[in-house]
Amino acid sequence: MTTPRTPLTPSAVASPSRPPRPDPAAAVRAARRRGAGSLAWHLGSLAVLAVVLYPVIWVIGGSFKPNDEIVGSLELFPTAPIVENFTRLADGIADIPVTTFFLNSTVLALGSVVGVLFSCSLAAYAFARIRFAGRDLLFTLMIGTLLLPYHVLLIPQYVLFQRLELVNTYAPLLLGKYLATEAFFVFLMMQFIRNLPKELDEAARLDGCGHARIYWSIVLPLCRPALITSAIFTFINAWNDFMGPLIYLNEPDKYTVSLALKMFVDQDGVANYGGMIAMSLIALLPVLLFFLAFQRYLIDGMATSGLKG
Amino acid sequence: MPRTGSVDRRGVLRLAGGSLAAFGLTAAGCGAGGGSGDGSVTIRYAWWGSDDRAKRINETIALFEEKYPKIKVKTDFQPYLDFWKKFNTQASGGNPPDVFQNAIGFLRKYDEKNVLLDLGAQVEAGHLGMDGFRAGLEKFGEVDGKLLGVPVGSNSMALVIDENVFRKAGITPKPGWTWDDFDAAMVRIRDTQGRAGDSGMYGVMYLYDLYLRQHGKAFFTAKGLGFTEADLKEWWTKAYAGVRSGVYADPRKVAQIRPKSALAAELAGCEFTWDNFAVRYTSEGRSGYGLAPIPTTDGKRTGQYLGSLMLSGSKRTEHPKEVAQFIDFMVHDPEVAKIMGYDRGVPTTTAQYEAFEPTDEVNRDIAAYEDQLVASGVLEEITPHPSGADVAESAFLRLAEELALGKRSVDDAVRQFFSESKTALGR
Amino acid sequence: MSGSTVAAGRSAAPDRLPGSRPRSGRGGPGGPAPRRRGRRENLAGLLFMSPWIAGFLLLTAGPMIASLYFAFTDYNLFDAPRWIGLDNFTEMFADARWRHSVSVTLWYVVIGTPLKLAAALGVALLLSRKRRGQAFYRAAFYAPSLIGASVSIAIVWKAIFSDDAVVDRAQRLFGLPGGGWVGDPDMIVYSLVALTVWQFGAPMVIFLAGLKQVPVSLYEAAEVDGAGPLRRFWNITLPMISPVLFFNVLLETIHSFQIFGSAYILGGAGGTCGPADGTLVYTCYLYIQGFENSRMGMASAMAWMLLLAVGLVTAVLFRSQKRWVHYEEAAR
Repeated sequence: MTTPRTPLTPSAVASPSRPPRPDPAAAVRAARRRGAGSLAWHLGSLAVLAVVLYPVIWVIGGSFKPNDEIVGSLELFPTAPIVENFTRLADGIADIPVTTFFLNSTVLALGSVVGVLFSCSLAAYAFARIRFAGRDLLFTLMIGTLLLPYHVLLIPQYVLFQRLELVNTYAPLLLGKYLATEAFFVFLMMQFIRNLPKELDEAARLDGCGHARIYWSIVLPLCRPALITSAIFTFINAWNDFMGPLIYLNEPDKYTVSLALKMFVDQDGVANYGGMIAMSLIALLPVLLFFLAFQRYLIDGMATSGLKG
Repeated sequence: MPRTGSVDRRGVLRLAGGSLAAFGLTAAGCGAGGGSGDGSVTIRYAWWGSDDRAKRINETIALFEEKYPKIKVKTDFQPYLDFWKKFNTQASGGNPPDVFQNAIGFLRKYDEKNVLLDLGAQVEAGHLGMDGFRAGLEKFGEVDGKLLGVPVGSNSMALVIDENVFRKAGITPKPGWTWDDFDAAMVRIRDTQGRAGDSGMYGVMYLYDLYLRQHGKAFFTAKGLGFTEADLKEWWTKAYAGVRSGVYADPRKVAQIRPKSALAAELAGCEFTWDNFAVRYTSEGRSGYGLAPIPTTDGKRTGQYLGSLMLSGSKRTEHPKEVAQFIDFMVHDPEVAKIMGYDRGVPTTTAQYEAFEPTDEVNRDIAAYEDQLVASGVLEEITPHPSGADVAESAFLRLAEELALGKRSVDDAVRQFFSESKTALGR
Repeated sequence: MSGSTVAAGRSAAPDRLPGSRPRSGRGGPGGPAPRRRGRRENLAGLLFMSPWIAGFLLLTAGPMIASLYFAFTDYNLFDAPRWIGLDNFTEMFADARWRHSVSVTLWYVVIGTPLKLAAALGVALLLSRKRRGQAFYRAAFYAPSLIGASVSIAIVWKAIFSDDAVVDRAQRLFGLPGGGWVGDPDMIVYSLVALTVWQFGAPMVIFLAGLKQVPVSLYEAAEVDGAGPLRRFWNITLPMISPVLFFNVLLETIHSFQIFGSAYILGGAGGTCGPADGTLVYTCYLYIQGFENSRMGMASAMAWMLLLAVGLVTAVLFRSQKRWVHYEEAAR
């Protein structure tokens, strides 16, 4: 890619979160454009959206199809819609109420969120604000942990948790979250904290505040958007995690939604595709709600964290 | 890293274990479940299957716990592939379930790895009865004189047919029909029914095993492969021609409707599989499905044997007696058979076989099919597969598909199969 | 999520990261500090880092060192690992299936990453202005990224990319040869690419954040100068969001190299990925070797090869950024 030189005004670039200066003439022009442009924009967006959401609509249509019409069918909607795929879920899966799986997944996802917010923000603060010996080495190590595919770490970690007698509890799935092993979030928060004005904590330090006070009273409140960003990504990842729950949980009533989704189809049994599709649709709702509730902060979180690479 | 002596190697291991040691962990105590104050014990029971099987199994466990109030059973289940993934992880970590569902391809593999409990001692102690099995099935789980698995449900390879297609094409498979008859029938279906004859028999390891047995060989010996490159070349040359001429279903279409079967998806008129899988086609497809005999070479010998799912115990279990009692209950109790039906195959003991009277057509077919096999005296014995057989089986399936898709020549596929099998079985 | 690999290619100390504020000259924490202060900083650092250090030592370091050791052994998970030197590596390089998995992965990375980023950037541009219903659109476009890899997705994907399905019909409409993608070993990798591109939510959100940082006044100035939308995009938007673009390129590239879940659900069956290994991406083969063939030594060797390769790519990307990424200091 070439390097187009543009007149970058330092003041405009340096403080991205500052709103642009109001310009009356521009506002009038914009208003005129908006009327005609708005309709075109909505039409264009909806057209793109239709393509993107086609598979989701297929899932919705599929959830109302009878079992023998689902796999291999090319039609979007059922010839004769049925609701049994949903109503049968009320009987539970493998004698366990469906709500149990949702409850388990929620506990795990929220537990993960708390852990990531707590432990990753501590490490991020240390990387961004404390000048301690060995910081560069630890940072390099943290980056290195990301490059190895997790499959080869699975067995040694399993042996460890088994010796700790923590198999068949949620501890193996949560412990790492409380010990800041999710390096992505450490990095995200670190970038964010580094872009906070240093004047604030210098002033606090002059008032005699230690790192603990600065972290808790100044930095944490200011990086709320980054925390929410991390929270959303953590929630989604934990909700969809399959390998961890598969290996560590040994009793169906501790299973998560992602494990329960696998209970509908096995090679040598009767396959219930309808139930599976219906369940995966319902499984989407909590994450969608979580996203909807926080999406505004997600954008803000990224914007102010100043992701400069 | 240069090759170094054993001192360095130990050093690396120590370093690797350092994180464990640093936290004061010891290598002791890996058993699952445990006893509690009132003398009751808990055993872990893992199996593969889906929701439907889970409900049946839960019912049988309730019965068991009623009869043995001091034994609690905790279940754990996944679909087939996930089951073995998890089992392998847990077993290698020293924490396998106490009792679990097992299959013939895994007996030697996990015996070599010291995972399987020899139930012989429990039989002698009277906690597990090996009497009353049908058709010599009590021998099925024996390896080198050790009882490593107890059969819970027998099955056999069969030809599952779309009854409408076969009727309309005017084909009635009879016991003793030959491969020539079969091939002619496949051509007839292709020509008259607007779909392929068979869904892809060339990749079914268990069918090729029968074909080899008809010629006095077998797919596996106790140590390795029981056939030559020339044998396989013949089998796959026929396959290649069949796919090209449309006698076998288009492998692209078969791939794109997975996990549904090609038979239920109306791509083919029949499919070779285990007889107890027949239930699945009825749930997936719209036609009627029946069981037909395996074609023969000489008009008599099918090479068939009764296979079976088994229950095995783990060598590390702290409760071998309870595991044996559990297995005993599951294979002998008539009530269990009434609950399970033919879900895992036809019950293996006479008591259970007689206790369950199938009411639906598919299950009656399965019973009749196996009765006929036993009565006609075609059944043979099977040697437990060598360690690595599961890997060789999936290589067989994969390479057959690559061949059918035109990604490999016959020679190339055969060579590759023997090379991969050598790696898998030679270890 | 693998965003934090951003700094892996260079000497990745936090202070030397691009985008960091230049050290303040007025005697802040960067200035020379008395020795007692240094000791206190060390103690504070240790305390704040203690969860991470514990996690690293307990959960990560041991398993990583173990896997490095296993890479030089024959290890079936049950018997003790047997040292075999470089045998795993020589066998790997001679293995046609391994080479195939490398080429599938490279193809996937080279095709999929730019397409996904283009889709993410395109939709982000569409959604960057404040409009009525913005929250709805953002959630709707993000929705596919919320769906985990599951059998349901595999079924849907096959329903879309089979022959005579919607994509095939569209192809024929435009006079292209049809035939379906998911049953064709040479085409299924493109349906995998489509699946990845479809889940463009995360980079889209990051682009949105970057676009939000571009001051409107710049566009208005350009408009006064008579610059059309294309020139405005090329001369203002792209350079202004280049740090974010770089971040996304890096993140998605690393992510693509490690793709497993969607490839496995789309084509995975015992011992294979896709018809005729069509979606046998690197980690799929690694998984098959480690878990299905019980060759954890080989799987570990493959993992470390991947680590080296991704590390190399990361380093190259970092070297390239001087030429096309604008940071705020550079503009000063």
